[in-house]
Amino acid sequence: MSQSLDKQCNEVKERYDTCFLKWYSEKYLRGTGTVDNNECSALFKEYNQCLQKALKERGIDKLLEDAREDNKENDAAFLGKKK
Amino acid sequence: MVLTHTTNHTYNHPFPTVTLAFFLRYCSPQLNPFASHVLSTDTISTHVDPATGRLHTTRLHLKKSRMPPAVMKLLPTSITGGAADKASYILETSVVDIREGWLSTESRNLNFVGVLSVVERQLYSAPTSNSDVGKTDVETKVVFRSRLGERIRDRLGGQHAAHQPAQQENGWFARLGARPIQRSIESIASTKTLDQLGNSREGMRILLETLRQNGIIGVLELRKRARERGMEMA
Repeated sequence: MSQSLDKQCNEVKERYDTCFLKWYSEKYLRGTGTVDNNECSALFKEYNQCLQKALKERGIDKLLEDAREDNKENDAAFLGKKK
Repeated sequence: MVLTHTTNHTYNHPFPTVTLAFFLRYCSPQLNPFASHVLSTDTISTHVDPATGRLHTTRLHLKKSRMPPAVMKLLPTSITGGAADKASYILETSVVDIREGWLSTESRNLNFVGVLSVVERQLYSAPTSNSDVGKTDVETKVVFRSRLGERIRDRLGGQHAAHQPAQQENGWFARLGARPIQRSIESIASTKTLDQLGNSREGMRILLETLRQNGIIGVLELRKRARERGMEMA
């Protein structure tokens, strides 16, 4: 089964995942949930608080920043070549 | 220094089911036996754009190291840190447009990027002609890029006094030359990744078959039961 990065987030992640999959299959795929996916947002907020802490502790927040920087660099190089 | 591979595949399942399988594909080794190398999966952000109705999702997967041993052998431990057994962080971004019938995904590794960056992009699309109803096409494009040494050189150029490890690494590159090694890394990694693409497709196929037989509710139930069993074992 899919775990969270941090065991401490497993329980809230599981509740969020279940909510998301239900919303996705019952509403979004039927075209009725395209404006609001609010029903899982309170769970997501709780899950995200736990996860952000785990990302910081492992230095992954920095990796995510680097990935964004890299994308910028690549885009710049690509656009430069096109000219 | 870039290597690109493109492949096409058609699933004999309707588009909405395939997108659901995409989100479910790492949820449990019971549902997808090809997901046992996935150690964790987390959703970092998710929102529906109210203007377009598109669902934007960012997930972070932790997988057992995908850096092939042959690549590790090419590199001194001053670079890899002896990291052969470490795991890779994969950042996955996806956009689903259910009205227009497409799912676009991008996965990239977050660590080891100085050695090798692998970016996989997939476009799943609902069929445009009536004769193909119930099928889903997917185009997969993988870009391999090794920038080994480039960043170190950048850093050396930008810093007044180079510190000791950087000097060592620079010496190593000066002796061997980074370019042929970059090329080898890209080609070894691409061979391995193409094997794995077959596995990930097979995993999706099994999951889709389970969805066909049990329906979505059935799969959610199987997922729940697998989780409970996991808790008992833990």
